[in-house]
Amino acid sequence: MSTNWPERISAFSRSPSQFLCCTTPETFLTEVLRELRDDRANDQVKVLLLFPLLEHPTLLCPSVSVGEETALELMSVFVQCSPKSLQLRCHLLLALTSVLICSSCVTSRTGASQDFLDVLFQMIQDTNDLQAGAAFRPLRATACDCLRELEACLPGLLSQRLELLSNLRQQENSTLHQAYTGLHALALRNAVYHLTQQKGAGAGDLKAALESSEGFVWVGGEDSEIHSDMALVSPLTLGPMGRVPTLKTGPDSKELRSLISSFLEESYLLTSLSQAALLQKLVEILTMVPAVSPTVFRAQLLRLLGTCEVSLLHATLLMKAAFTDSLFSAEDEAYLLKRLVSLSQHPLLSSPEKLFYMDCILHFPENRPISCGDENLPVLFTPRLAVALVPTLFNDSASMLARFNLLSLVYLEDGVEDKDGQGSRGLNYLYDHLTSLLRVMENQGNREMVVTFFRASFLFLFHFCHVKYYSVDLIQRLCAMYLRQTRLAPHLINLADRTADQTQDRRDVSDWALALLTALQRSVTEACLSQLTLQDLRWHLRILTRIAEEGDVPQRATVSFLLSVITSTSSVLCVSGDWRLGNGMLGVCRRLLLHPSLDSILTPLADLLQYLTCHYGDVDIQDHARLYYTLLTTLSREKLAGVLAQGGPERGRLVKVHSLSAIMTETEELTSGLTVHQTEHPLLRLVKLESNKPGDPEPSDPEPGDKLHIEANSDSKSAPGLGLKERENYRAKLQSPSFVSVVTLQYHLTHTGVCDPRFGKLFSIRLHFDLTDSNYEVVSDISVPCLFRARKPPAVTLRLKPKQPYPTTLRTSAVFTTEDGLSWHSPLADLHVTFPEVFLPLPAPLGWTGVQRNRVFEEIWTEISSVESMGDLDNAATSLFCDQLDNRLVGNLVNNFQRYRIPYCSELDNGGCKVLFFLPPQSHVLLKVLTVEDNVQVHIATDNWKLLPYINSYLEEITENLHRASQ
Amino acid sequence: MSVRALWIITHEKGESVAVQFSRRYPTVEHRAKCLAGSRYVTVPEDSTVLQLLFTELGLSDPVKSYMALRDDCLHQQHSPALELHLEGPGGGVLWPMLAISQGSLILACLPLVEAPPEFRPPLASLFSVSQGLTLLAGLQAFLLGSKGKPDSEGLASRLSMMPFILLQVCPLGTPLDTPQPGATSTPAVPTPAGTQKQPAWKTGLYRGRAVVNVALTEMVRSMQYGNQSRQDLWDVYGTVTCKCEVEGVLPNVTVTLTLPPNGSPLLDVQVHPCVSSLDASILTAMSVEDCDSSAFSGPYKFPFSPPLQPFRLCSYTSQVPVPPVLGAYQLKEEDNQLCLTVSLKLHESVKNVFEYCEAHLPFFNRNQIGHVDIKVTSGQLEVSKEKNLLVWVIGQKFPKTREVSLEGAVTFSGQLPGPRDPLCTDLTAYIKLYFRVPDMTLSGSCVDQHLVQVYSSAKPRIVTSRELLSSEYYIWNSTDTAPVSSGHMML
Repeated sequence: MSTNWPERISAFSRSPSQFLCCTTPETFLTEVLRELRDDRANDQVKVLLLFPLLEHPTLLCPSVSVGEETALELMSVFVQCSPKSLQLRCHLLLALTSVLICSSCVTSRTGASQDFLDVLFQMIQDTNDLQAGAAFRPLRATACDCLRELEACLPGLLSQRLELLSNLRQQENSTLHQAYTGLHALALRNAVYHLTQQKGAGAGDLKAALESSEGFVWVGGEDSEIHSDMALVSPLTLGPMGRVPTLKTGPDSKELRSLISSFLEESYLLTSLSQAALLQKLVEILTMVPAVSPTVFRAQLLRLLGTCEVSLLHATLLMKAAFTDSLFSAEDEAYLLKRLVSLSQHPLLSSPEKLFYMDCILHFPENRPISCGDENLPVLFTPRLAVALVPTLFNDSASMLARFNLLSLVYLEDGVEDKDGQGSRGLNYLYDHLTSLLRVMENQGNREMVVTFFRASFLFLFHFCHVKYYSVDLIQRLCAMYLRQTRLAPHLINLADRTADQTQDRRDVSDWALALLTALQRSVTEACLSQLTLQDLRWHLRILTRIAEEGDVPQRATVSFLLSVITSTSSVLCVSGDWRLGNGMLGVCRRLLLHPSLDSILTPLADLLQYLTCHYGDVDIQDHARLYYTLLTTLSREKLAGVLAQGGPERGRLVKVHSLSAIMTETEELTSGLTVHQTEHPLLRLVKLESNKPGDPEPSDPEPGDKLHIEANSDSKSAPGLGLKERENYRAKLQSPSFVSVVTLQYHLTHTGVCDPRFGKLFSIRLHFDLTDSNYEVVSDISVPCLFRARKPPAVTLRLKPKQPYPTTLRTSAVFTTEDGLSWHSPLADLHVTFPEVFLPLPAPLGWTGVQRNRVFEEIWTEISSVESMGDLDNAATSLFCDQLDNRLVGNLVNNFQRYRIPYCSELDNGGCKVLFFLPPQSHVLLKVLTVEDNVQVHIATDNWKLLPYINSYLEEITENLHRASQ
Repeated sequence: MSVRALWIITHEKGESVAVQFSRRYPTVEHRAKCLAGSRYVTVPEDSTVLQLLFTELGLSDPVKSYMALRDDCLHQQHSPALELHLEGPGGGVLWPMLAISQGSLILACLPLVEAPPEFRPPLASLFSVSQGLTLLAGLQAFLLGSKGKPDSEGLASRLSMMPFILLQVCPLGTPLDTPQPGATSTPAVPTPAGTQKQPAWKTGLYRGRAVVNVALTEMVRSMQYGNQSRQDLWDVYGTVTCKCEVEGVLPNVTVTLTLPPNGSPLLDVQVHPCVSSLDASILTAMSVEDCDSSAFSGPYKFPFSPPLQPFRLCSYTSQVPVPPVLGAYQLKEEDNQLCLTVSLKLHESVKNVFEYCEAHLPFFNRNQIGHVDIKVTSGQLEVSKEKNLLVWVIGQKFPKTREVSLEGAVTFSGQLPGPRDPLCTDLTAYIKLYFRVPDMTLSGSCVDQHLVQVYSSAKPRIVTSRELLSSEYYIWNSTDTAPVSSGHMML
């Protein structure tokens, strides 16, 4: 097969969901496995083929059984592939591990997972390459890692094999001893955890566990609690408040102690990452076994404190958090903190490392913490020490903000205001830094600098808003800056919003927001109008809109500013009729209409709206202004508020409620309104309506004028030749380009069982259908105005135009809007169109009598039979279907065909009938149902033999149902 | 201590973004699911991760000046771990996403949080964070190659090796090692296991004559303002790099660093993990506290067993009493021209033998340089091709007086605007010095050839060297404000 595997695999990795739209997981898995077994494919391609299994095993093997089958396949590939294919074999082991763990084969203890464990164990017992040779060492390394991962996912799996693991670790002299050490340490840690969970376990049990050499400990049965998820939690993350499980072993546990020492002795031989991981595991073990003194670590401490590796120093910090003063003296503590400070600004370290060290200072594990909270500076972190971390303009943004935050915390503790209300020198420095940032930002600073400045401002205000000397000065500077850089309006609004949000016990901060907005209003409204550009005005309107949301800020100045802008002689605004500016202006007015001080600005606001109504150069704006004017002058305050109701007090930052009086959702929130969100589960479904009852109108004739002149003929017997004319007419109709045959299916659109109040009322639903085969023409979308859970479900009519009359499946999805204005996309369950749903009655020309229909039936029947017997028409075929049915059941059978029956067929007695299914676009299936004694015979004739299997299974299905019903 | 997934991304200033490589570790994900229970947040597909990551890094939609999601001031990215906020009804937050970037290359990974789901533990208590950071840094160094910059061809070839690299360093999500800089997809045949345990960081054994190469490099940084109200700043940091070719599984080598009498102690000493033991006195001195004159000042002994590749044995910082070159820079704007006066003085303690010494005078926020009328007492003056930079090549030696100066005027008459810089507006400007002085250090530290001990049978060849390099050596114009907060002095 010439499949381009690299391309397919990369398409899969890029987006598995998209990839699986075009195929099914089963098909893809089958293809992958087949190619893996193919001897012609080279190793490189095979390694690539394993990646879907390696990375997304749950997608391809969703159940234990599929996982098991896949694992067996992979095992057989592993056994059969050449021993030299090292890369492939290593990746096979990894893929097996992923599949077995993720499809829950291991927890179900399936045969494949037991075999796999045995294979792995066999491999790792070949220490020092005695059997396989050094060339196969990578395979053994991978096997060790697979076992380690199995133990990590099923903690305790190897807890009864500790002695063997210990021996293997000690025997191994090649670089692989690292892999054995990792495996042994993890198994030991989990075994100790396991013991802590056993009631009354003590020193004896620990000793027994260390010397154990039994089988695997499987999940299930009595020991099921062994693999509890809590075993995955590292005790080191629990913090001082968490309860670490402990094992009471009496005064000491010599065996464990000597084991830990032997681990530590060889730790130097491990890579720093593995060494740090080992230390972490050992620390965890000792926190659970307090009898072993943490002083075993002491010999390593100097080496660790002096290290340049972040992982090793981090392990040391965790060690300190776990053992505090039983391992670290007060001097050690002071030293470690100073070390962290010096590393946080070391020129040789990368920025993420420095940021991490700063975070470690904020969460420094003190021997005697005074309080435990989120971010607390250690007592020893004095202003003197903190000087090393003062923010400068040369820091990158993240480092600068981290330093700014750290120093703010330092000076917050230190910085009570001094006599002249200026705060400490440290605080002064921070403010100075903030103003330098402001200056740099104004000098064509890029976006990053702008954002950094506003974040630093927020930090400063959050900590020092109560120091009036600075907070007042900052407002002045911000206002002055705004007039020079109006484009920064969104940032200022954001700063105001965020500070205003700090209402809980931070009244000072939210008051500051109010002061800022008031000052901005003054700056905007008092600025010289002659220098006002349209660009500036656009931003001013944004600012004024935000200010108008503040009930405590008087709005008279705003209204008179707008009036003077719009009426000033130099203004081209009204003439130009810029819709967006007009809309911005109306946005302010709309907020003003809701303002508590509306009474005091009623007249000027009415003037403003009237002026807009009469003079603004855009009709839409005029109309809205007129609406607002009418509302203002005719409605009471309460009604006005009701009409203009907004989405609550969130200042529209959240989603807006639909309101006819809003022109468009302003500013950034538009994005959330414009984004199509994705529902997690299908919310809607289509429920098939009962198929058309007999006597329902038949498919409409597209050409009412296409009437045929019919010879009246009452003779019901149709002699050959008599129906020729009808047949010709009928054929002509089918061939006519205007003949359109459509299968119409009706459904109810309803909610699925998912009960989410957000989706109770849905609007503007648009159903989209995707074909899964090429047998049908593309289906156009269907619009449904609304769907309320409480109301009757709307009916949906789906029109299908077959190219081939076969059953099909449609992928269905819906896009709709919820009450809060958000758009959603939701998949629906696949829509299956069955074979009988494609049936149509004979599309006879309008006005045909039953006799004429009968004649056409006979004509077609004869034609098919003769053509078939001559064997020169490709597609015609006849067939026979027999079943044992009594008379009553035959009647029921015929009822199924009611809609498609040909009337006036007296020649068929005993409930027999003629049936014609028309299958668009051009196929016919003709049935003659006859009863012969207790048997029913259905003679079938069709001009499309490919339909025979479908017909057959259709008949089988209905007769089976009849039998079942009669029993 | 594992990572759930890993991404390698390239971009050009937020545009043409592409996930070049990604790797998911489903078994770690399985553990994440068990740990988080109902609060489990699944890792979305690459395109979604990419979009969320770029929003968090402030790189998304570079043309938009403000986006609430990206630029919210409440959003404080002051730790190396990002929060990705997933959209949709499930929502959820992916934390802690670690990301490191260099130029157009971004690497990110999502470490496993081994904590109960009810509360978020502090970042510092998550062991997987430092593991993730180390893994990312290691992969970054490997991908950037020896140049330290991403070049498309080299990057593509190294990216294609990622599956094989990860098989060795992080096969199932738990980082075991960082890739060797020159790693290849076909690992060499390993040496047979002997009777002594071989370090895991030493992939093979060296055979041949013992050669030990020790190079000491010191970098000097400086900020000089030439202004009474501002304190000039300078500092020195040094690294000792070794390449040791010595036979044996675990050979012993000791390198000793010495200081001259009265030399100020080496501070903030950090060592490579292959150093087997350390004296406590070596570590005590630190730059963040006042120096004690009676502090330990050597000799600094570093016993170690070397890996095969070159490695950084140790690093230190040092506080020296004077900067090697003291400069003064004055600018005045007169009649549409800029008058410059520069003087540089080499300190007498510094060897007057440079490999190179250049002073760069960049001009920002102005047009291109037009006419240059400048005299220098030593060396030559060049105008850069782009016409926005004066390069004063001082050469290998300062004159006997150890002073050089530059005086004259420049006009900016070119049609094209030069580069912009938000720091250097008006007369805020700087000179940046670039120099290298071989065979000297400012701290006076030195590795004596005779103090390098190799415990092996054959007599080893030992090569030592040292050098002084400038790094971020700025001299600011003293007639205008320099971009430092004036508060610095007060502290």
